[in-house]
Amino acid sequence: MLHVALANIKTYARRYIAVILAVAIGTAFLAATLAVNTSTRATLKNSLGDSYKNADLVAFPDWSMASSEGEESKDLSMSNLDDVRKLNGVSTAYAIAYSAGEVHTADNGYTVLTSPVSAEQNLGGMELVEGRAPLRANEVLIDDSHAKDMNVSVGDTISLNSQDTAAKNYTVVGLQRSSTDPQISGYALLGMQEGAWTKFAGKDFVPSSIVVNASGNIDAVQNELKTYFTDQKLKNISVLTADEKVIKDVAALTDGSDQLTMVLLVFALIALVVTGLVVVNTFNVVIAQRTRELALLRTLGAKRKQIRSSVLIEALLIGILASVAGVALAVGLMAGLIKLLHIYVPSMSYATLALSPIGLVIPVIVGILMTVIAASLPARRAMKLAPLAALRPFDSASVKNRAGKLRIIFGLLLTLGGAALLGYGAYKGELPIAFVGGLFSFPGILMLASLFVPSSVYGIGKLVAGRSVAGKLAALNAVRNPGRTTATATALLIGVTLVSMIMVGGQTAKATLNNSIAGEYPVDVTVSLFDQKADPAKTEKLAKEISNIQGVEQSTTFRSATAVIDDPGSSEDAGLQLMAVDPQGFEKVALDPSIVPADGEVVMVSGYLKPGTKTMTLGGETLKVKESKASLYTDIVTFDTLKTLKTVDANSGFMGVLVKVDPKLDSAAIGKLVDQIVETAGVERYMVDGGVVQNAMFSQIIDVLLTIVSALLAVAVLIALIGVANTLSLSVLERTRENSLLRALGLKKKQLRAMLAQEAVLIGGVAALLGLVLGVAYGLLGAQATLSGMGDMSYDIPWLQLAIVLVVSIVAALIASITPGRRASKLSPVEGLAAE
Amino acid sequence: MTSETLPLTDYAVSARGLTKSYGHDSTRVQALRSVDVAFARSRFTAIMGPSGSGKSTLMHCLAGLDTADAGQIMIGGKDLMSMNDDELTMMRREQIGFVFQSFNLVPTINAKDNILLPLSLAGKRHDRDWFNTVIEALGLRDRLNHKPHELSGGQQQRVAVARALLTRPEVVFGDEPTGNLDSRTGAEVLSLMRTSTREMGQTIIMVTHDPAAASYADTVLLMKDGQLVGSIEEPTVASVTEALASLAE
Ligand SMILES: Nc1ncnc2c1ncn2[C@@H]1O[C@H](COP(=O)(O)OP(=O)(O)OP(=O)(O)O)[C@@H](O)[C@H]1O
Ligand SMILES: [Mg+2]
Repeated sequence: MLHVALANIKTYARRYIAVILAVAIGTAFLAATLAVNTSTRATLKNSLGDSYKNADLVAFPDWSMASSEGEESKDLSMSNLDDVRKLNGVSTAYAIAYSAGEVHTADNGYTVLTSPVSAEQNLGGMELVEGRAPLRANEVLIDDSHAKDMNVSVGDTISLNSQDTAAKNYTVVGLQRSSTDPQISGYALLGMQEGAWTKFAGKDFVPSSIVVNASGNIDAVQNELKTYFTDQKLKNISVLTADEKVIKDVAALTDGSDQLTMVLLVFALIALVVTGLVVVNTFNVVIAQRTRELALLRTLGAKRKQIRSSVLIEALLIGILASVAGVALAVGLMAGLIKLLHIYVPSMSYATLALSPIGLVIPVIVGILMTVIAASLPARRAMKLAPLAALRPFDSASVKNRAGKLRIIFGLLLTLGGAALLGYGAYKGELPIAFVGGLFSFPGILMLASLFVPSSVYGIGKLVAGRSVAGKLAALNAVRNPGRTTATATALLIGVTLVSMIMVGGQTAKATLNNSIAGEYPVDVTVSLFDQKADPAKTEKLAKEISNIQGVEQSTTFRSATAVIDDPGSSEDAGLQLMAVDPQGFEKVALDPSIVPADGEVVMVSGYLKPGTKTMTLGGETLKVKESKASLYTDIVTFDTLKTLKTVDANSGFMGVLVKVDPKLDSAAIGKLVDQIVETAGVERYMVDGGVVQNAMFSQIIDVLLTIVSALLAVAVLIALIGVANTLSLSVLERTRENSLLRALGLKKKQLRAMLAQEAVLIGGVAALLGLVLGVAYGLLGAQATLSGMGDMSYDIPWLQLAIVLVVSIVAALIASITPGRRASKLSPVEGLAAE
Repeated sequence: MTSETLPLTDYAVSARGLTKSYGHDSTRVQALRSVDVAFARSRFTAIMGPSGSGKSTLMHCLAGLDTADAGQIMIGGKDLMSMNDDELTMMRREQIGFVFQSFNLVPTINAKDNILLPLSLAGKRHDRDWFNTVIEALGLRDRLNHKPHELSGGQQQRVAVARALLTRPEVVFGDEPTGNLDSRTGAEVLSLMRTSTREMGQTIIMVTHDPAAASYADTVLLMKDGQLVGSIEEPTVASVTEALASLAE
């Protein structure tokens, strides 16, 4: 039967192009997902293992080792290192320890990590690129890539200090290879002579591990080390071989990437379901067209089983071809991406493409199985036909595929049950319940699709067609085979539903977060100069400068101070942090007028007050309490009031600027604005905070997530659109004679193309429309379930984005109709009429 | 009935020097060899000839479904050879009716919509009286709401005839319109066609293999090897059978 199958594939090659494309994309997605996982692991192993590359054993504090009750365990320290070096069988040993410091070069300051290096002890795991090891206390190594950034070379002098040690000058005597460990490679790495480092970091500094090279039997040395640490009462120290340690580190770090893989797998699954629909459709049509041919074979004596297996062999061959192509595509894509990464992100040079045999075989098997299973359904249906029935000239006007009763009942149960759970979960704010509800109801709705998709397509088609015959015919043709229309539309509907759900959910999440965050901050932006002594003149000047930035509406200064309170309830002298403001200026930036204090008043949050509290004694003064419903981090008084109060920190405390931002700015503009404020004020980014800043950050995070998820779902939508093109071209092939008849009777070429375009747009547009409706419902309910615990929901539907989804679907459907339309109109009426 | 008797424009359909070949070089087939032919108005003409003699090709070219290699075709005073595809389509829509051997109707729409299809494509309203006349004549009154697959073969052909007549075209072409029908239904359809020439003045050109079908026509034209080789006026089954037999020799 193999040769029959091969001949068939050759004959019907054109019909299988879409199937092959769809299956290839689906399997490519799956293969890429698995390759991402293996590659992440390999990359991490490559980089994390960097520190122990030439080591035999690693001793490190292992917090997963339960310490026995009562006894306090001692921490690892540099003094242990000296002991370890004296142990039997230890040839070299060094500590891996990173202590933060600050380096100042001639023109700039940097945060760096310092680590101990001993010339005799394997250079502390470093690799020299240039120069020599630091031998004296005032010599250091710098890693080469950061040396370049800092504009430092061998022979230069730099100044180094930490929080506890004063600045000292060091001479750069060598460059070491930069670390590829993602946990530390972000900072410049300074190698210091071991003794000097211990002094710099402090002798109690806890190294993250001690790395040992053994001269004798590794097991013996491992035991020796274990005994040593037990004797020293270092309970939590594990001693592992270097390989074991790397595996452990990778496992700890890849928890996240495994989740990523799971998420990607879900998307791959969606893509595969959509692919399955395209395959079922194609085989349905191909087999329907061959029903007579197959029936002829049957009357000539072929057994049912023989014919079915011939169809399945066909599917198998196509599955193999497409899946292998898909996996190859995925491997090529991943290799390309990693190459790009190597070229454009030099610090990622350790990124490795890793493929596991399983990761390659599984997608191929899944692709083949899916194709064969999808093909077997229509094959079985065709085989049920009695040979003679199939030979009778049959009219393909409209195929009635009755949806199985069982499927309808099952779908109804799933839909209703799922919807109930979803509603309940949304109402109660229980995401897991709502999630399960969605998981049940969506497939349920898809099972019922045959009940509402064709009628929607037809109804909308008739509505749009008006009096145009071509339009009416298009509407009729679009639902000629309700089963096929349903499957084609469902494929697209799945993708559109998910995309729009994510969009609506994301938008609502943004709006809700906006609301709840805005309520938590008294002003848009707060610039706190807590690294500087309070300096009213300087702060005033800064406020002016900030108010000149585009997008800033108002600014005013504030002072933070802690007032003494003598609470009869508490024994010790307690302080209350206050924010002092100028009431005129503050009124202009405050988001809630109820928080502006008058002289002699303190604004406090009502929730924290005993009901009926009218006054409060603060810093030796009795102040009138003004209650505010807004949530505040600190209580607020005026500058003048503050002057009368006794404060804990009479001279310290700090000042800052409060800013009101143009409410029309979007999150990107606010991000830029914050950058400008940071620059103008000359402060670190974390010193600039406020509702607007938080909002912008959340919005950006949500936007990035939305973009990624939409991009992943776009694969499913793409496959579905291939399905639309496929269905249409199969229909064109099926309807050659009919189209020729219409041409003979006076349908212009242009009208024929328009008719096919309308058909595609109807299926695509209605599928997208239904998907949007479902997606909006799921998005709102999902957001409600997720976020209602955070306070008031603000529902927000991104109409523009949804409209774009609809337009893209319609345009894509139009594009999908071009090739079939051209093929149909190229045929002269005579040729078409002659075709059998 | 040849082109010499009347100027071309006075005929419903006429052609001069019509030549058409298929394929290239070794597979080249000369389907029409410079055919000169003219069909007078309000006449029912049958074209006969052995299989492969070029009957369908001639009809397709005359009807603007296919383009001839050379020659001139006039329908209702208009030159088909100079028309582009859209103009030809308009021509077919408004001036030509078709009845094919099978697959005459668009399966998705009912009989009435099929009958009205050419008019709807042109965006024109139909003449209600004329519609009723045609429907009554063809006995389709109670079949109008049926889909094609709910109609018998004969009924389907009658719907096709109604469609062809409704636009009052310059000419109706039929390619073996009764080829798929049993003799009784075939006879029904043929007498309808004859009635439409007699009573409605419709010009009809029909390709057929069946001498009995041809006997309904006013004139039979005989074709062989892509050429017209003779004609029979007032044909009978016997005269046609005889003529065909002599052609085969
Ligand atoms: N599309 C085509 N390609 C190549 N040759 C063709 C094509 N159509 C017709 N021919 C050839 O042209 C010649 C005339 O064909 P035509 O169909 O006009 O014959 P016909 O008289 O209608 O025959 P029949 O009675 O069998 O229908 C035949 O030799 C046929 O093989
Ligand atoms: Mg023929």
